[in-house]
This record gives sequence, structure tokens and C-alpha cells, in this order.
Amino acid sequence: MSTKLRIFMTGVGGQGTLTATTLLARAALSVGLPVTSGEIHGMAQRGGVVESTLLIGCKSPKIGPGEADILLGFEPLETLRALHYLKPGGVVLSSSETMPPPSVATGKETAPSVDDIRAKVAAKCGSSCFLPVRSLGVQAGAVQSGNIALLGALCAMGALPFGKDVLAQTIRATMKPKVAEINLKALDLGAACPA
Amino acid sequence: MASPLISGAPGETHLLLGNEAIVRGAVEAGIQFVSCYPGTPSSEVPDTFFRLSPEGAYTFEYSVNEKVALEVSGGATLAGALCLVTMKHVGVNVAADPLLTLTYTGAPGGLVLLSADDPGCHSSQNEQDNRIYARLAGMPCFEPSSAQEAKDMARAALTLSREIGAPALLRTTTRVNHLRGPVTLAEPTVLPKPAGFKRDPSRFVPIPAFARPMHLRQLERLENLRALAETSPFNAVSGAGKVGVIASGIGRAYLADALDETGLAGKLKVLDLGFTYPLPEKLIASFMGGLETLLIVEELEPVLETEIRALAQKLGINLKILGKTPGPLPRFGEYDTAMVAAALRAIMGQPEPETACACGADPVVPLPNRPPNLCAGCPHRATYAAVRKVFGDSAIYSSDIGCYTLGLLPPLKAADFLICMGSSISAGCGAAKAAGQTVVGFIGDSTFFHSGITGLVNAVFNQHNILVVILDNRTTAMTGHQPNPGVDKTNLGDNPARVDIEPLVRGIGINQLRKVNPLNQKATVAAIEELKGLSGVRVLIAEEPCPLFARRAYGQKRSQVAYVAGDCVSAAADGSCGDCLNTLACPAFYVEEGRMAIDPLLCSGCMLCLQFCKNIKARKGDAK
Repeated sequence: MSTKLRIFMTGVGGQGTLTATTLLARAALSVGLPVTSGEIHGMAQRGGVVESTLLIGCKSPKIGPGEADILLGFEPLETLRALHYLKPGGVVLSSSETMPPPSVATGKETAPSVDDIRAKVAAKCGSSCFLPVRSLGVQAGAVQSGNIALLGALCAMGALPFGKDVLAQTIRATMKPKVAEINLKALDLGAACPA
Repeated sequence: MASPLISGAPGETHLLLGNEAIVRGAVEAGIQFVSCYPGTPSSEVPDTFFRLSPEGAYTFEYSVNEKVALEVSGGATLAGALCLVTMKHVGVNVAADPLLTLTYTGAPGGLVLLSADDPGCHSSQNEQDNRIYARLAGMPCFEPSSAQEAKDMARAALTLSREIGAPALLRTTTRVNHLRGPVTLAEPTVLPKPAGFKRDPSRFVPIPAFARPMHLRQLERLENLRALAETSPFNAVSGAGKVGVIASGIGRAYLADALDETGLAGKLKVLDLGFTYPLPEKLIASFMGGLETLLIVEELEPVLETEIRALAQKLGINLKILGKTPGPLPRFGEYDTAMVAAALRAIMGQPEPETACACGADPVVPLPNRPPNLCAGCPHRATYAAVRKVFGDSAIYSSDIGCYTLGLLPPLKAADFLICMGSSISAGCGAAKAAGQTVVGFIGDSTFFHSGITGLVNAVFNQHNILVVILDNRTTAMTGHQPNPGVDKTNLGDNPARVDIEPLVRGIGINQLRKVNPLNQKATVAAIEELKGLSGVRVLIAEEPCPLFARRAYGQKRSQVAYVAGDCVSAAADGSCGDCLNTLACPAFYVEEGRMAIDPLLCSGCMLCLQFCKNIKARKGDAK
């Protein structure tokens, strides 16, 4: 049972959450791990929430409340919304840069501040890391590559059963050279983040 | 680069989406003919076939609806082709008419119907359980639980169907369609070219005299299939004990993880059912022997539970059968590992573990929602804004299925009721006639071709009073930009055989017709005003491509973006502000320090808001 690992990922439609999930799954498969991943979309492509999962050593593609070892939030409000999926003492990696939903952007509702979200996350998890995912993406060469920076940070925290080199290999093997270059840079930028 | 789905070598292992695995399974079976109507969670199956059609050895079509898709393949299999027909669960209702007779007339070349069910209604209007169609139509049913099984069962179902000369059902659920897992490929079968149709009216023309023996042959076939299910490798017994579990579909994955989780693996007897209909009665009877308690793990309807109860009664086997009637598992929604683990613990008398949820006992603080929204630049927003301007709340808005259903939310509030594909016109007619209310029906181009046309013909014939707005965005946007008969462009190039909606509508005899570009608000409002003043069947065609599709398929670039030049927060008393923040709700709008602003990265340059407010102006933006 100790070989099981469950990662819950959440983000906003169009952010590349599913690309990151597939990359992670391919990396796990490349080192022979029994991987299953799942995604829920359909209605999610129009600015809605996109949730995906990656499980190692499980048959199910689904993660229930309190089951995730790791929560990856590509947007902080979505990190908070998905926090109940995390098991006690789990690891949280999240973007610190908000993409407010329309009701918040237009001042009709208010969302918790990022500091508020950090505090709520800190109270529930074993360790956490917030990084400016979109800025790191821009720095690497494309805003969407920010997701890969988050995966880099995940590697640096030692939270995965494989290292950054495996992800780097998978990026090289599955992406066009130009895109791979940007994503490899993002991976390094993210890996440098966790204190 | 050649796709491993078509040309991957036997023994290779690839990470595949459940739906891609189905494509590979079909390729390995020697698939020759594929027809479909797209719909989540099935869409990646036909979309992958379409994308790979230049390299594949099969004929592929997006049919106009599921009934047509099944009939087209129904004809192709009569001519000897091995066929796959794909649709979402509710699509099978549309295809039910041909389905229930195809199992009489048969499928000489082989035919598998993929029904992608959606427990939990992730992207559907209901969560019907299409395993019941296997019983109703009398066809074998396969239910995969992993990507590997999706591939293997797609192949096995097609191969079996060809052997028995009758249709088979491959029934998946959202989690299976959209999971990814390792799939090891096998050597594809090479089939001879379709032999062509061979006349045999007593087999293929179900007049009553022929239909009666056809039904007998179908029942006999089911008994033969039952014998195959008894020894199918997809049905396997493991473990030991006085408590047994029979599981099917994705429930098997939850069961496997729950057994690990509870430490009960090996301490219970488990029957995994993959070839689930006809029920392998001997296998189940022998499995039940010596059991005191049996739990059935199946999502949605108690299909296996009811049949296994009947079997136990028939054979005089006395044991306690648990499932959903009354419990401990629910008859709605999806299962998960924790739910199945809780059921196992309850049966085995294990204590529940302490609450494992990281949110603990925290009261759930309501967070601002992030509902899916019409995109920036979506022409539907423009049409809805114009219709709202003319009718406000005085009309009832009969909606249909597509992106435009998202107009439900305020401020557009353009969906008051919805039943199924194509119902906007016909149900709208009924609602208008019953009590004389004003009804505006909204239907997209693909849905109009799917089943709106018949409703419109009916509206003319029965002299209904309705304004039908055809939202023609030149593609099937919701499910991923699949072609429909009206499109000029597909993801693979031009559509050489376009069906034009306007002459089609005129041909029905409707002359109260206006066609507008909804991004031209003034002309659109004027056309709606004019149609509002008339009675009977009226049609407005609001034509403007989906901006996401236009960017990809037409290479459309918009060089301008909108920006707020003056103070804009809400409707100013002097009328200088169009209040578009509150009337259009474009996702590019935001409020900063009390002033409305427009995000230049999100603005698509449709320039709709400029027509609402003098304070919004256009400027040169980065082409995107």
C-alpha cells in the first residue's frame, strides 16, 4: 500500500492542466510505474474548472475527498476549492497568481486573498509551496509552460517517485524541440523555487 | 508522424486515453466503417478516427444524428463491412428505433455500438443506464474498466459481433472514456474487403411473418452468447470466503482499490464481470455456492442485482444479496473507492476509519463559483443580448443542447427550459400553443441538422406560433468543432458538400425569415423587432463563426481590441453608459478601482460592446 500515490490537479479551462497531467503520466509510465490518470472536462472548456488526477499503484482513475497525497493547484482559488481532496499531512503546490472568475472580476463577489488561501492551506497540509506560475511561464517563454514550472517544484520537493531528469526526458520525447526548450526552462525555474 | 493507434507494433505499450484505446481496439479488429454523432464523453473516439482517416483503412463519417449513424452502419454491415457506431448515452435513445430491429435483422459484417454513459451527469442532461438497452435490444454487452480493457473489449466485441452476425454493445462510462493508462498493443487482424449485400428477404425484411422467426433466432442467439460469457476471459473469479462481491465496469477499479485499502484483498471472493450480458448464470451460480453474503458493485441501476436475485430465487440459493435495493450503495451518481470501501467494512464488521479528509470538520465556506461561460467574442452572446433587448422577460426561451445552453446564466438568462437535442422548436411550439405565451426557441446549427428540421416542418404543418433563432456558428462547438452538414471548413480542410440552412428553411415554406450577423447589433435588433411584429413560424438565422474555430480553421485574425475610454461601472443616469458590464457579462470585462476595464489578452475583438457604450473604443491590438 505504501507504493500508492495519488495526485489531484485542478485549474481553469485553457490553462493546460491536462497537458501537465499527461506529461506526468507519461513520465511515470516511462519508468515502469503502474499509472492511471483521469480527467473531467466537457463543460469545463469554457473558462470552467478542469480537474484531473494521476494515480500510481491504483486501478481507479478517481480521487475522493481526503485521498490525495499531493494537490497541484494551477490557480489559488481552485487550490482552496479542492483542498478537501487532500489527506492530512499531504503536500500542496499551488500557483500564487489569481485568475479571478467573472463574478469576482466584475466585483459582484469577493474571493479570499492569496494570503488567506496560503493560511488555510498551511493549516491543513504537511508542506506547501506557492509559486508565481504564470510569471515563471512568461519568463520561460510561454505563459502555459508555467504548469511545467509547478511540476519542477514538485520534483524539487522530492514528492515524486522519480526525478526531474525523467520529466525532462519525457518533455524532450513528446514535444516539438522549440516547445520542449521552453518547457525545460520552466521545469528548471520551478525546481529552483522550493526553499 | 504515424500514429501508434494505426501503425503501432504488437507488444508496444503506450499511454492511451480510454477513447483512444477503443480506436486501437477497433483497428486491431480490422475496422472498416465508422459512423457517429459526437457527444461527451464519446467524442474522442470519432474525432480520433476522423483525424487519422488519411492513414487508416476505414470509411468514416460524422452522421447528422445517432439514428442516422446507426442506420448508415446498419447498411454497411449488411454489405459486409465491420462497423463501429459511437455516441453518448442519450444518443442511443435517438438510435433506439434502428437498434431494436437491427438485432433481428442482424449484422453480417459485424457491428458494435459504443454507448458512452455519464453517471454523475458531468456533461449530460440525465444519467440513464444503457446496459438496459442490451436487455431491451437483445445484444451482448461488454463493460471495460481500464484503458487496456477498453482496447481489448472493443476488439473482442467487434470480433464476436462479426462471428455471430449480430450487433454487440460496448458500454463505457465517463471515467473509462476519460482515463489514461498503459495499453499494450496486439497484431491487427486483416479482413477481406466487404463482400457486398446478399439478397435474403426472410433474413433482412422484418415484415411480421419474417419478424416472428427473427425474434426466435435472436433469443436463441442470446442463449448461445450466454454459454460464451460463462467462459469469457473478461469474467474472472478470485479470492475466497463466505462473503462475495460481483462488480462490473469502473466499479471493478474502485473495488480493487477498496480491497487494498481495507486489507480485505484475498479475504473475500470476487467475481469481475466484463462480458456482462447475457449473464453467465452457471458461473454466477457456482460463485454464489457457499456464500452467506453477496455485494453487487455496479453504478446506476440495479441491473445485475435484480438479475442475480432472480437467478438465486430460480436456483433456490439462499444468501443475502446487497447492492442498492435498499443499500448500502446508491442508485444515482458515481461510485468511488471510499464508498466501496465503506460498504465492504460495513459487511465485514470493520470499524470506519477516522475522518481522513484534510478539510476536517471545517464548515465549508462558499467560494465564488467558476461556471463555464460563453467565451469572449462568442456570437451567441450578441444574439442573446439582442433578443433580450427586444423581448426581455416577456418571452419564454426554449433552449437546446450546445454551447448556447450556457446562456442560461444571468444576465443573458436565455434558457427557460430544455428537454433534449432538437426539442427547442417542437417543445417551444407546444408551450406556445397551450396557453398562448410568446416563445422564442434557440437552436444551434448542428442541433438543427440533428433533429431541429423535423420540429420546424411540424411547426409549419401544425401552424404553430414561434420565433426560432438558429444560432449558426459554422461548427459543432460544444463537443470540439466537429463538422456538420452546414460547415464550410473542417479540421481537415474544406467541406465540399455544404447544406445551406437558409434555402432549406425556405424550402419548408417559411418566408418570414431574416438572416443577420449578430455582431451587428443594430441590424439584429431590427430583424428581431420585425419578426416580433409577425405571427406564425418565424426564423432568424444568426450566422457568425465561433471565434475559437474561426481562428483555427479560417486563420482569422482580429487586429483590434476594445478598451474603456471613459468612466464605466454601471448604467449612468444620463444614459452615457451602456451598462455592458451587467448586460453582456463578457469574460474579458473586469472592474479595477471601481472602474470597468477590458483585458486586452482576453478580448477577441468582436466589438460587440462598442455598440452598447460610447465609452468603449477600439484600438490596435496584438493580432492573435
